[in-house]
Amino acid sequence: MRETHDSIILQFVVRTFMVPFIFVFGIYVLIHGESSPGGGFQAGAIVAAALVLTRLTVGSEHTDRRFPTHLLMWLASIGVGIYVITGVVPLFFDSPYLDYSVLPLNWFNSVADHAHTNRAMGIFIIEIGVFVSVFSIMVIMYDYLTLRFRND
Amino acid sequence: MRRLGAANALMLTAMAAFVLLFAYVSADLPDRGDPSAPATTRLTGEFIERTEHDIGIPNLVSAILADVRGYDTLGETVVIFTAAMAVLLVLMRGYKRES
Repeated sequence: MRETHDSIILQFVVRTFMVPFIFVFGIYVLIHGESSPGGGFQAGAIVAAALVLTRLTVGSEHTDRRFPTHLLMWLASIGVGIYVITGVVPLFFDSPYLDYSVLPLNWFNSVADHAHTNRAMGIFIIEIGVFVSVFSIMVIMYDYLTLRFRND
Repeated sequence: MRRLGAANALMLTAMAAFVLLFAYVSADLPDRGDPSAPATTRLTGEFIERTEHDIGIPNLVSAILADVRGYDTLGETVVIFTAAMAVLLVLMRGYKRES
């Protein structure tokens, strides 16, 4: 797992056909979570599958340069932080915790051509937080489960 | 074959009685997806009518998950995060930090 996998066919198929499409599908599930089945948890699991697939085939000594474990630790914490901070912001506008309707996102109404987009945008922001947190946590757990094989 | 003890026989009788009781009671429950069931007559209609206008997204499930029950989803995320940290603490035993 530390070195690149021996089979060139496996590497080619994974790098060229599978991982890019899994990434795009994960982002699609995240963005369309408001209008179709999906959301942060599901998109996080899909993107984590792509990252684990690269770690299995391309080798962790290559993937660690782009997505090292300590960066993923930061991302996992930042994801939870996005959610918590999105909940705290309404407190400054005399509203309850996690009340998205008072978030300062009125500029988005003209873009979306809709009168009330604050709550939809609030949901999207926290879904991003959940997504970042879930995918980093899954890849972190894979990294540490395979730590024994990587340090040999 | 091992002979059943008195305690086991008592437990089996009690479990069989519970199975029969639940089977008897479940006949009175409304069918799945019954629109006139008490569980679907009160809040479901409210959500179906008001989600698109109040929250602005067409997906009921996402609206309830992330807005109406935002605390619950926050708790779920924190639970996953905490579970990952606990797993790391267990798995990292005996390893030095990579420099």
